[in-house]
Amino acid sequence: MNRKYELVYVVSPEASDEQVTDLHTQIESTVQKMNGQIEKTENWGRRKLAYEIGRHKEGTYVLEVINGTGDLMKEIDRRLKVIDLVIRHLVVRVDEEQGVVERTKARRGDTSRRRRVARGLPPERQPGEGQRGDVDDDRDDRFDMGEELR
Amino acid sequence: MNGRKSFGGGGRGKSATGQQGKDGQRRPMFRRRKVCKFCSDKIDDINYKDVRMLMPFVPERAKVLPRRISGTCALHQRKLRTAIMRARQLALIPYTTE
Repeated sequence: MNRKYELVYVVSPEASDEQVTDLHTQIESTVQKMNGQIEKTENWGRRKLAYEIGRHKEGTYVLEVINGTGDLMKEIDRRLKVIDLVIRHLVVRVDEEQGVVERTKARRGDTSRRRRVARGLPPERQPGEGQRGDVDDDRDDRFDMGEELR
Repeated sequence: MNGRKSFGGGGRGKSATGQQGKDGQRRPMFRRRKVCKFCSDKIDDINYKDVRMLMPFVPERAKVLPRRISGTCALHQRKLRTAIMRARQLALIPYTTE
């Protein structure tokens, strides 16, 4: 069962760039060994930590989006715990959350299109219609007269 | 024209106005109805990586801003809480300030 996970790990600021890339290749090999794939890698670079971890005040953040099984993530988690260079890491499953977000977006789009059509407008928003909030405020049209009556 | 303030989705419901106290004292305080920021801005995913979005909800002492103050709806407050807790684990947001 393949699922989508996000892995963020914080590398000690003393680590060189090679060590960071080395860590990445290490994770990559683990992922490939267990039939997963890395969808995206993002290096956020060096950031200040919000609080001290150990004696560190800074850290290099790396984000990986991984497709794989739970066992794979367990293995990665275990390995990252062992490596002293990684001062913090977090694994989060994201596929379910993403699905929910997409569904809400789609549903909202549908409703808006339906309402616009019901009001006799083209289904998509036109440029120069003003702010979204302004349009929503006009929903109260009890006292509105038709354009032709005015 | 009705004098309603233009606000995202919060058109429904009465705005919280001053009420009459028990002893007949008038409270002239007028409170504008709070609206969930995530509902009105149509922000669907509250992500732990987006620190700039989370920061307004963790004031100086780095505690989570309560719903009664921010006006966030229950669903989004829950999501916000998980996002803040995750960001804290990664030292993106402090647990507390000295």
